[in-house]
Amino acid sequence: MKKFLPAVGLWFLLCTAAYAAEPLPADLPEWLALGHYQKGWFGYVGTIGSDNFYLSSEGRKNPTKELEATIALFQSNDTEKQCLFPARYMFLKKYGLASAPFPSCTEFEQFKDDLQPAGMTLLFTDAYMNNSSSLFGHTLLRVDTARKGTQLLAHGINYGAWTQGYENSFLYAVYGLAGFYPGGYTVKPYYDIINTYNNIENRDIWEYNLNLTPEELDLFVAHIWEVGQTTTPYYFFTQNCSYMLMELFDAVRPTLKLAADFRGQTIPLDTIKAVNARKDLVKSVNYRPSRQRKIRYRIKQMNKRQYDAFLDAIKLDLTSMQSLPEAERADVLETAYQYVQYQYVAGDLALKDYRQKSFRLLKARNQAAAGQKFDELKEGQNPVLSHDSMMASFGVGVQNGDFFEQLSFRPAYHLVTDRGYGFLAGAEINFLDVSFRHYDKHDKYVLDKLNILQLSSFSPIDAVFQAVSYRIGLDVSRQMNPKNEDEGYVLNGNVGGGGTFALNDYLWLYGLSSVEAAYGGFLPNNQWVGVGLAVGALVSFDKAALQAEVKKVFATDRIGSVLQWRVTADYYLSRNRALETVFAYTQNYGQDQTEVSVRLKQYF
Amino acid sequence: MNKVLVASLMLGTTLVLSAPVQAIDSTGCGLGSMAWRGQSGILPQVAAVTTNGTFGTQTFGITFGTSGCDPNGRVTGGTQKMVLAFLENNLEQFAMDAAAGQGETLTTLAGIMNMDEKTVAEKTYQNFAVLFPNENVDAVDVTLKFYQIMKA
Repeated sequence: MKKFLPAVGLWFLLCTAAYAAEPLPADLPEWLALGHYQKGWFGYVGTIGSDNFYLSSEGRKNPTKELEATIALFQSNDTEKQCLFPARYMFLKKYGLASAPFPSCTEFEQFKDDLQPAGMTLLFTDAYMNNSSSLFGHTLLRVDTARKGTQLLAHGINYGAWTQGYENSFLYAVYGLAGFYPGGYTVKPYYDIINTYNNIENRDIWEYNLNLTPEELDLFVAHIWEVGQTTTPYYFFTQNCSYMLMELFDAVRPTLKLAADFRGQTIPLDTIKAVNARKDLVKSVNYRPSRQRKIRYRIKQMNKRQYDAFLDAIKLDLTSMQSLPEAERADVLETAYQYVQYQYVAGDLALKDYRQKSFRLLKARNQAAAGQKFDELKEGQNPVLSHDSMMASFGVGVQNGDFFEQLSFRPAYHLVTDRGYGFLAGAEINFLDVSFRHYDKHDKYVLDKLNILQLSSFSPIDAVFQAVSYRIGLDVSRQMNPKNEDEGYVLNGNVGGGGTFALNDYLWLYGLSSVEAAYGGFLPNNQWVGVGLAVGALVSFDKAALQAEVKKVFATDRIGSVLQWRVTADYYLSRNRALETVFAYTQNYGQDQTEVSVRLKQYF
Repeated sequence: MNKVLVASLMLGTTLVLSAPVQAIDSTGCGLGSMAWRGQSGILPQVAAVTTNGTFGTQTFGITFGTSGCDPNGRVTGGTQKMVLAFLENNLEQFAMDAAAGQGETLTTLAGIMNMDEKTVAEKTYQNFAVLFPNENVDAVDVTLKFYQIMKA
């Protein structure tokens, strides 16, 4: 036993010596995350674009050099620069690499005084179909406040692209792809965020309150201060609003490794799922419905008498209101006031009328008894529980007696027949949906269809809300010329608009008229243009959905003049699995084409 | 076929990749309340917001003159400045909460003023006609009246 002890001692010595010989802990995950280093093919590269974020001239690619430069900074007298890196200072202090105290920094102190941080919340705003930049929703951060009152006085931290002056440029999207726009951070009071998303754009806000230790919260705020001064080239699909937040999370808790989940594409919905899936990261969820959703929920609670009084009130006719029992007036008048606000933002009311209506409705509200009977909308469909963004499927079918097997893949995102839980009802984004087929009769493999992009918004019209429904599509598909039975590829495009009517919560009917165009060497004159008329029905339940549509196209060439029937029915086996049946019947040149198929869809 | 594929792929990709961009503004000032702001520029501004996701709101802060909007986009300053900034940006919701005698804005104002929430709610409800005497009030009027009422 005695012989053994010196050996243990020696082992300890060696170990300590080895540790001391290791010059700098630049490879620590904490340091790498604070510097936003990501491992690439040729070693580390820092994500942040601003030159002033990396202190060493080689700092972007060399975490060790950057750490040395940071240690040197905090040994120097340059307090102005030191004030830009409070989080790095916290790291140095933790590992005994800084001896001097952190300088007094007026601006940073003011920042913390204004924010009075009490916690952090990840915010998700749902899809906004009226703006191509918001189709996939948006994520931002909220620094919760310790101020007395409510979280209205908290602050939102938004990462976005500085596109001012270029929004209407046709190069808008190209610039965004090429990283032409600088991305940066802005700070805003939370009440402004609510106004923008809930009240102006009518989008729901989901709040995911994070479970952070006081030390992590301090580090988070300090690191926001560090990156808040920087800009980084903004790439629409990869280094976007949601991706940068993942790197912020990692900087605060490197074990999360969230950025690593988003090497390819970053869809906002996927990032909130990743955050919610990390152990002990989200402690509670809160839902803030959009103004439109709140109004709809209130209208649903009205009886016939109240609804009639409401319809009169929004036209400023308050006589039927007088016949309502006093206790029922408050709810109806408050709903009418909210609706008038909605109308003004939608551009349906002139300012003068808006003010007059608002004032008179509120005056009447104030004269009615206090207190309300209507419930406020508190529950929604948490988007975290929606089906995943990517989808692959395998199926079999028969086309005019010819059997085929079909393989499909779609990187994003959602169609009305997909399980709707957590998605904006009636909204569709179908992107790069590709399917390949093998036909048994001639034993041939073909690309059947590449659906490059399909955007649709079916939004029900009623006495209160009027919204246009639309559908835009662009695809390359394999087509047969019924005259000579030739097959070839055609690029199809269409843009259509119309209306949707909800018979009830489960059954919607729609009508769309569209402009259609096709191009391809296979076509008789290489191209045709036409107009289309479509009517359809959407049925959706928790476990199943169905879309049935009939469409007639009148085209400049007979090959384009088709009559199509199409029924798609989905049955959901689970959150991420569904069984789909499609029946399609096309009539052209007096000839029929009938197709029936079944496929199993897996989302991931 | 190849040319069609490549061209359409590029076009489609360009279209959809414009998706997750979020345009942001250079000022910290928000859109604020609109009912009683009423600069003639508001509708085009709102249109800009709804079509492009941009927040071209700088004009509000400037034309409104007394705006409590902080250039850094933060809730800042003393009680009075905070109340003004808050009412300027939340006047529509405040008007409804005041008329009803309850709501989130009243809780927030009670917090800023360090007053009892119930007292603030009761006083605003009873004095709604004083706070909003006609349809042309602005946030400064309302803030001054609000102070008088809370002190009374």
